Amino acid sequence: MKLDELTKGVFKYNPIFYLVLGLCPLLAVSTRVDNALGMSLGVFFVLVSSNVIISLFRHWIPSQVRIPCFIVVIASFVTIVELFMHGYAPELYGRLGIYLPLIVVNCIILGRVEAFASKKPVFDSFLDAIGMSIGFTLGIVGIAVCREVLSTGKIAIFGYTLVPTFTQSPSVMMILPPGAFLTIGVIMALINYRSIRKEGR
Amino acid sequence: MGEELKRILGIAIPLIIVCVLSGAALTASYDLTEERIEAVEQEKITESLSIIFPGASFTATDDYYSATMGGEEMGYAFIAEGRGYSSTIKTMVGLYPNGTIRRIYVVSQSETPGLGTSIAEPDFTSQFNGKRIEDVRLRQDGGVIDAITGATISSRAITDTVRERAEVVLNETR
Amino acid sequence: MEDLLVIAVGAIFVNNIVLYWFLGLCPFFGVSKKTSTALGMGSAVIFVMTCASAITWPIYTYLLIPFNIEFMRTVTFILVIATFVQLIEMVIRKYKPSLYKALGIFLPLITTNCAIMGVALLNIEKGYSFIGSVVDGFSAGIGFTLALLLMSGIRERLEFANVPRSFQDLPIAFISAALLALAFMAFSGMRL
Repeated sequence: MKLDELTKGVFKYNPIFYLVLGLCPLLAVSTRVDNALGMSLGVFFVLVSSNVIISLFRHWIPSQVRIPCFIVVIASFVTIVELFMHGYAPELYGRLGIYLPLIVVNCIILGRVEAFASKKPVFDSFLDAIGMSIGFTLGIVGIAVCREVLSTGKIAIFGYTLVPTFTQSPSVMMILPPGAFLTIGVIMALINYRSIRKEGR
Repeated sequence: MGEELKRILGIAIPLIIVCVLSGAALTASYDLTEERIEAVEQEKITESLSIIFPGASFTATDDYYSATMGGEEMGYAFIAEGRGYSSTIKTMVGLYPNGTIRRIYVVSQSETPGLGTSIAEPDFTSQFNGKRIEDVRLRQDGGVIDAITGATISSRAITDTVRERAEVVLNETR
Repeated sequence: MEDLLVIAVGAIFVNNIVLYWFLGLCPFFGVSKKTSTALGMGSAVIFVMTCASAITWPIYTYLLIPFNIEFMRTVTFILVIATFVQLIEMVIRKYKPSLYKALGIFLPLITTNCAIMGVALLNIEKGYSFIGSVVDGFSAGIGFTLALLLMSGIRERLEFANVPRSFQDLPIAFISAALLALAFMAFSGMRL
């Protein structure tokens, strides 16, 4: 089933909660929902283009130098994202800082290219990349929602308030590094709890 | 020998092709975005200059801009740049020739949202208006600027870089 | 001249590469189950990070800046780091088999370790000099090792703790990391 290639990344093999890949940008950029969305957009573009390109040329790349080739392709797309984001979304570019060029070492991308795109046809790789990006987006935005609500008491995306202020004394810790670890720990425990209960039945 | 060379070339050529293609793609996107990026950066400067000295005209020197209005010299504007808690903080500073700060405006920063980012807000920046350079320190460092609660590092970073740069610029103009 | 001690203390404690910048998290959770492997990974990272800082800085300053191609930074850095790690692996496998046994298995993991790339980028971003960059790279490696060792110590003890089933393994590791990060935040109060 073609559809499986798409949905497996979203739920069954979610890159964040199941494969535990790409943690660095996940925790660093999930301070605010709009940063998380910007990051997801970057990862989406790089993952989809690299997966498609690598899959397209998979027969021409000698296996001895495949990793350097993959890295060059990924790094090029990351730089393209950097350049366009600098020009057209300068504020977001400033806020993502070094985590934007660091997409290049995001294990999700190299991992998917190596494990999937270098072996499978173009269309499957395309679907796989889209599924994985959606999975990543769900994870990072989910964590960002928890952190932003708890640390500022509201959610504002690109200036529009989605959830109005409901508390005057939010927990500042959630926006600082410890809050990131805490959030992902609790979310993973909840996922485990669900699957343990399923097993028990 | 010939076999060996063939093997090496078989590996090297695809790698070289990939690198050349990627270089070409990057140069193309750079050319596409270069003007736009420069315009964006320039606009940030122009915008912050007009906030510091509204309606004035500026002449740029190496280090700072001198602001004149109606032929009369108003003062100087310059960028102070320094490390904050988690980012580089860029501040546009307006300085009167007598060594008092006119006002400051944070051009770019990415400090901790909700904490360090408050240094860009008027509540904090307006404290600098009309202060003498030597007084521009945090209160706990013997100055007159109140740090933001929970963001002492960001507050100190911006205060110290503004003072240090202002001293340099003031010396140059004399 | 920047104060090297400030850079070192800053990189080890205040802006710890793992607990503050969130870099190198994959090995941080991946190889922190035992103290001995943590030490091996740590030493490999210290070594590569120091060398990577020493290599990327001159490349950026004397190659990319003069030709006005700073935008090639990402591509250049990752290639240089990946090549360097491969070379090191080959060299020590051939000449120092005992060292290869101790560090070798960690080297391939390091290529995609975002901490290495992160430190190279941070050196440029912070505008350090060459010496400053090398010190920063070395100290960031020390900071990584410190965090990794603390984490592995905690996880070795957690083996014997009665952790609720849904929190076992990774979730409790994340919670421990949160507490560790909270403790490290106290260092940010230091006046450097």
